[in-house]
Amino acid sequence: MFDAFVQLMAPSLLIITLAGVCLGIIWGALPGLSTTMAMGLLIGMSAGMSQDLAICFMLGVYTGSVFGGAISAVLINIPGTPDAVPTMIEGHQLAQRGEGGQALGMAIAASFVGGMVGIILLIAFIPLLLTFALNFRSWEMFWLAVIGIMVSGSMAAGSMPLKGWIAGWLGILVALVGLDAIHAVPRFTFDSWNLYDGISYIAVLIGLFGLAEIFRTLPSKNAPTIPSDVGRIVPPFKTLLRFAPSAVRSGVMGTLIGAIPGAGANVASFLAYDVGRRRAKPEEQAKWGKGSYEALVCCETANNANIGGSMLPTLALGIPGNAAAAALLAALTLKNVNVGPTIEIDQPGLIYFIYGALIIANFMMYLAAFALIAPCVKLFSLPRGILMPLIIPVCVIGAYSVKLSMFDVWVMFASGVVGWLLTVFRFPVAPIVLGVILAPLADENLRRSLMVFEDQSLSAILSNWIGTILMGFVLFVVVEGVLRGLRSMREEPAPSAAP
Amino acid sequence: MADAVNQEVKFDGEEAGAGHAAPGLDLFAAGFLIVLSVVVMVASWMLPVPGELRTAPGLLPFLAGASLCGMAVLLGHSALKRRRAGIVMDPSEARNSAEDRRAAVLAATVAAYILTLQFLAFQVFFTIAGVPFVLSAFEPVTVLALSAIIHVSWRGPLWITVAVSVGWTFLLTLVFQKLFYIPLPGGF
Repeated sequence: MFDAFVQLMAPSLLIITLAGVCLGIIWGALPGLSTTMAMGLLIGMSAGMSQDLAICFMLGVYTGSVFGGAISAVLINIPGTPDAVPTMIEGHQLAQRGEGGQALGMAIAASFVGGMVGIILLIAFIPLLLTFALNFRSWEMFWLAVIGIMVSGSMAAGSMPLKGWIAGWLGILVALVGLDAIHAVPRFTFDSWNLYDGISYIAVLIGLFGLAEIFRTLPSKNAPTIPSDVGRIVPPFKTLLRFAPSAVRSGVMGTLIGAIPGAGANVASFLAYDVGRRRAKPEEQAKWGKGSYEALVCCETANNANIGGSMLPTLALGIPGNAAAAALLAALTLKNVNVGPTIEIDQPGLIYFIYGALIIANFMMYLAAFALIAPCVKLFSLPRGILMPLIIPVCVIGAYSVKLSMFDVWVMFASGVVGWLLTVFRFPVAPIVLGVILAPLADENLRRSLMVFEDQSLSAILSNWIGTILMGFVLFVVVEGVLRGLRSMREEPAPSAAP
Repeated sequence: MADAVNQEVKFDGEEAGAGHAAPGLDLFAAGFLIVLSVVVMVASWMLPVPGELRTAPGLLPFLAGASLCGMAVLLGHSALKRRRAGIVMDPSEARNSAEDRRAAVLAATVAAYILTLQFLAFQVFFTIAGVPFVLSAFEPVTVLALSAIIHVSWRGPLWITVAVSVGWTFLLTLVFQKLFYIPLPGGF
C-alpha cells in the first residue's frame, strides 16, 4: 500500500487525477450529463494514456462527477445526476434562504466523508470478498452476471421493472454478436468482417449516454434559471460533526448498496435520505424537505460512499456495481487490466494502486470542488444550444479512438438513435450497458457449467449452495419486480382523471 | 417518503421518465420486440453446433430470445389491459412532436457529419515553428457541422457560432493529437 502511494505521488499521476476530478465535477454539474456519460465519453481520452494514468484519470472522473451533480441540484434546482435528486430537494431550499454557499460547503464535506467511508470499507472487505470469490465457479459467475442485469433493470425502470429487464436483455443480444468464445462460430455477423470482433461496448456506451442525451435535450426549449450569487462557500465541519452518526450510517448504507451488482448511487441516495428522515430527531425531522442539513449529509454521504461500494464487485468479481462502474470496467479492459477473483495473482499490487488512486481522487475532489463552483455557475449561464453540440465531436472521437474504426463511430451513432428511441418509449438505458458488459461472462460461464454438470442430477446441481442462493436472489428480484409492476398498474389514474 | 420524493421530483437525465408509456407506444414496442426475439431464436437455432448441445453457440442467444419474447408478450398484455381500461398518459408526460422532429433533424445532421468524415478523408502534414501537425477532414468538417448545429439550436450571432466551433475543434485536435497521440477520424 505504501509503495502504491509513493508511486501515486508522481507529478504526472497527480496532475492527471486532478484533471479527471475537475472534468468529472464540471461534467456532473451540468444538468442532465450523468456520471456514466462522463465516464463513457472520457474513455476515449484515456485510450492514449498508459495504464496507471488511465486508472487515475478515470477514478478521478468517477469521484468528481458523483459530487458534481450536487452543484446544479443546489444552485439551479436541477440535479446534475440522478442521485442528486434528494440533494436538490434540501439544497435548493437552503439556497433560496441565502444559504447556498453553506449548503454546497456541507455537500462537499459530506461527499468527502462518504468517499472515505466507501474507500475504508472497500479496503476492509475486498480481501474477504476475494477469498470468498475464489469459491465462485462458472455456475455462480453465470448467476452473478444475471443478477447484475436483473437488479439494474429492476432499479432503473421505477414503476415498471419489466422495461428495465427488457433493456438489459437487449444489451445481452448486442453483446452476443461476433465470434463465440468457445467454438469461434460467428454469431449474427451477416458475413461482415466488422462484426466478427463483436460490437464495441465502448461505442455503445458513448452512443447511449452521450449522443442519445444530446438528441433528447438539445431540441428541448426548457432552460433553467441561473442564480446571480452563490454566497460564500464554507466547509461547515462543526455542523457536519453534529451529524456524524447520520454520515457514518449513510456511508455504510451507500457502500453496501454499491456492492450489490446493478444497484447504483441513486438507490443509495434515496434510501439514505429516507432512513435518515426516520432516524432523525423530531426537531430535525420537521426540517426534512424544507432545507435540512442533516438530509443533505445523508444523501451526499451515501452517493459518494457508493463509489467504494461499486468497486467491490467490480474488482473482486468483474461484475460492475452500476453503469458507471461498468464504464470504468470497460476502461480497465481497454488497458488490459483483468479484474476478478484472480486480480491479485494476475496484477500484483494493482489493487493497492486503485485504493491509493481513489483516496487521492477523494482529497482532490474536496479541494477542486471549492475552486470549481464559481466556474460551474458561469458554465450554467452558457446557452444549452452552444454547450450540447460541443459534445458531438467528443462522442465521435471517443468511439473512433478505441480501434481507429469508422465502423465503431456508426455503432455509436446507431446506439445514440436507439437510446433516444428507448427514452421515447420510456425504457431505461443503464441496464443495456450492464447487459452488454455482462453477457459474454454469462454466455461463457453458462456453457462451461453445463459441461461440468454433464451427468449430474438436479439435486446435485442445487447442492452448490452459493449458486442456489444466487438463483434464489434472481427469483426474489423477479417476484418483487412483478409485484411492483402490478401495484403501479393498479395505481395508474382512471380515465376520468384525464382531460 | 422516498415514494413521495419520486412522485414530486423529476430528474432531467438519461433515466428520466422510465416506466409506463402510452398504451399504444407500449403495444408497438411489444410487437417489435416479439418480432425481434423470434428472429433471434430462429437465427440461434440455425447456428452450427460444433460440439454438444450444451456448449452450442446459439444456446444463450436462444434462451435470451425466448425470455425476451416472454417479456414482450407481458408488456403487450399489460398495454392492452391499460388500453381497454381507457388509461391515457398525463398530458405533462406526453411527447412533444415538434421536439421529436427537431431531434430527428439533429440525428440526420450528425449522420451527415459522420458520413462526410468517412468519405472525405484526407491528410495534410505541415509544421508550425518546427512542430509537426496533421490537418485531416476532421477539422474543416467538424467546424462546418458544429457551426450548423449551434446556429440552428442557439440562433446567436454567426461570428460567435463560428468562433466557438473553430476554437473547440482546435482544442480537441490539440488535446487528442498532441497530448494523447490519438489519431482523429477523417484521416487515413
